[in-house]
Amino acid sequence: MSHPDRRRFLQMSAAGIGAATMAGGFPALASAADSPFKPEKGAALQLLRWKGFVKRDDEVWAENTAKFEKATGIKVTIDALSWPDVTPKAALAAQVGSGPDIIMGWNDDPFVYPDKLVDMTDLAEHVGKAHGGYFDTAHTYCFDPEVKRWVSQPIGVTGNALVYRKSWAKEAGFAEFPKDFDGMLKLARGLKKNGHPCGFSLGHAVGDANGWTHWVLWGFGGKQANPDNSIAINSAETTHALEYAKQLYETMIAGVAGWLDPNNNQAFLAGQLGLTMNGISIWASSKEKPEIYADVANVVPPYGPSKQHTIFNNFTSAFIFKYSKYPQAAKEYLRFMLDTPQADPWVTGMVGYVTPALKGYADLPVWTSNPNITPYRDAMAGAKFDGFNGKPGKAAAQALDEFVIVDMFADVCVNNMAVKDSIAKAEKRLATIYKR
Amino acid sequence: MFLRRLRLYGPLALYGVFLLLPFYWMLLTTFKPDAELLKSPNPFLIFHVTIEHITGLLTQTQYLQWFGNTLFVSAASTVVSVFISYITAYAIIRLRFPGSEVVSTAIFLAYIVPPAILFIPLATIIIQLHWFDKLWALVPIYATFLVPFCTWLLIGFLKNIPRELEEAARVDGASNFAIIWRIIFPIAVPGLISASIFSFTLSWNEYLYALVYMSSSTNKTVSVGMITELIRGDRFQWGELMAGALIGILPAILVYFFFVEYYVAGVSGSVKE
Repeated sequence: MSHPDRRRFLQMSAAGIGAATMAGGFPALASAADSPFKPEKGAALQLLRWKGFVKRDDEVWAENTAKFEKATGIKVTIDALSWPDVTPKAALAAQVGSGPDIIMGWNDDPFVYPDKLVDMTDLAEHVGKAHGGYFDTAHTYCFDPEVKRWVSQPIGVTGNALVYRKSWAKEAGFAEFPKDFDGMLKLARGLKKNGHPCGFSLGHAVGDANGWTHWVLWGFGGKQANPDNSIAINSAETTHALEYAKQLYETMIAGVAGWLDPNNNQAFLAGQLGLTMNGISIWASSKEKPEIYADVANVVPPYGPSKQHTIFNNFTSAFIFKYSKYPQAAKEYLRFMLDTPQADPWVTGMVGYVTPALKGYADLPVWTSNPNITPYRDAMAGAKFDGFNGKPGKAAAQALDEFVIVDMFADVCVNNMAVKDSIAKAEKRLATIYKR
Repeated sequence: MFLRRLRLYGPLALYGVFLLLPFYWMLLTTFKPDAELLKSPNPFLIFHVTIEHITGLLTQTQYLQWFGNTLFVSAASTVVSVFISYITAYAIIRLRFPGSEVVSTAIFLAYIVPPAILFIPLATIIIQLHWFDKLWALVPIYATFLVPFCTWLLIGFLKNIPRELEEAARVDGASNFAIIWRIIFPIAVPGLISASIFSFTLSWNEYLYALVYMSSSTNKTVSVGMITELIRGDRFQWGELMAGALIGILPAILVYFFFVEYYVAGVSGSVKE
């Protein structure tokens, strides 16, 4: 057996690398070479993100990070927290000027301290161009129109859809899910009559209570603020939304006033609920209960009189603080993680928990692999933003944080307050918040 | 006789049920299988006992590490804080230096400032000292709220110790140091134990500082670790959460169990004249 000489070795190596690249073996290295971001020498990154809603999320994210570390030699430390805990920790980092290089935050977080964030325009435009552009909501949450630059890199939303029991809906006379609010109210009444009430949180459930109340408010054309941030809650549309909610409340299971995010999951999986609004977690968890799993259906929420999608989801994006010593490395990391070879298995592994903000990922096979996943693909397309139709920022974030809209609905439904009084109360609270 | 007993034990029994129900529920949830948690003919009973939540907690999370961290931080911060508080309280009560009343009031005010207001300025100091994400740093951090509380508690306790005891010791030639350790300390033990129990419990349950000042998983405490690892969005792993809470309250239960008499003496006053 003869030993290969240097020329032969180079030929074999080149052929091997070429074959591996064509087969997708070194996509990370291939795409990294095209990247406009040149990581700083000796860079090491710290990422603060929310704990994945499914284990596979954390696992694939860690695998992708390991690929990045191998390809670039940049060490990345990941700290994961329960999702509501990321916002206070990000606020702390902003205040003291020290902390993680990259933070995956929620909703208006970047607009609370935009002057402390690295300009993300180059990254957002590069990634957007490579993956079909962004849905409108992503632009609203991440592009600061005042300074005309991107302050955060859009990631996606934890999508909401309506979840119901097919057989019970059929018993109530609905072989198909209704296409409008009136039809849904009739379905809810039918379900209640047959002993399978619906349940929508009117407690301080960050995802669920905000989700359905905003959907109904916007569905009737109501809005919290105008584009100039003047308060717009006191309107005939809000009145109609509250009157509708009051009727819907009469069909609900007892106890929704105290519900937090896990309560509707538990009630649905215990067979006590016929209809609710939720992320994909109910359907995913129902796999452990075959009799429920076979009967669960997820659907895109119907339109209200405003004749448009009015979904509210929690939106997540990644931003980099100016105190980071390695902004280029951080951008390269985010670009890498949102590139197809990494994002595809990540989104697929999450089976619908997070809907990407990039339109290109709406075509992934996972979205059509089961009809119950498909509605979550469309969560970004019709989504609106908190504080709609005002400006994202501190005031909108605080109004959401203080559950002003949820409390307005609860006052009417649970506390029997007159509609006009509950609107006046919400208007007063919003005026105080928006004046601060 | 029966009516008298009913009047005495009836309200006590009701109060006992009210107090113990959460613990009973925690116990039930720990040993119930997931299916029974969602649907059961009688939610107050267990039909199929399981230890899967405990084994899951101990084998699939870093619970033992968090437990060790919490034990270390709580014990160390309690010892440090009670020691500082003891000598501070003694100085305020007995040495009567100029401004001691003002210091006493300031200590009380420091206790009522909520951690949610303090955590950002405190973070600035911690970062400048390079204490961020260092587990032992929680000991001096916790002392910021434990010392005011324990000092305030011990001031009340030490006030009740007769001054004549110290005066007698002084006549016999005892120094301040000897009075603090050989005369007052043995009498103050019940007060110190009740301050220690409060400090230990407050440290054990603390959440905000442990959340914001620690970042790596190996430095998490029980309260933060459980929330991070066992709650995924709107899916709460109730069985593991309750198992963690059950194991987590054991140190506090043991402390109360062994020192309850001292604790009662501590909160009800010291030496009877």
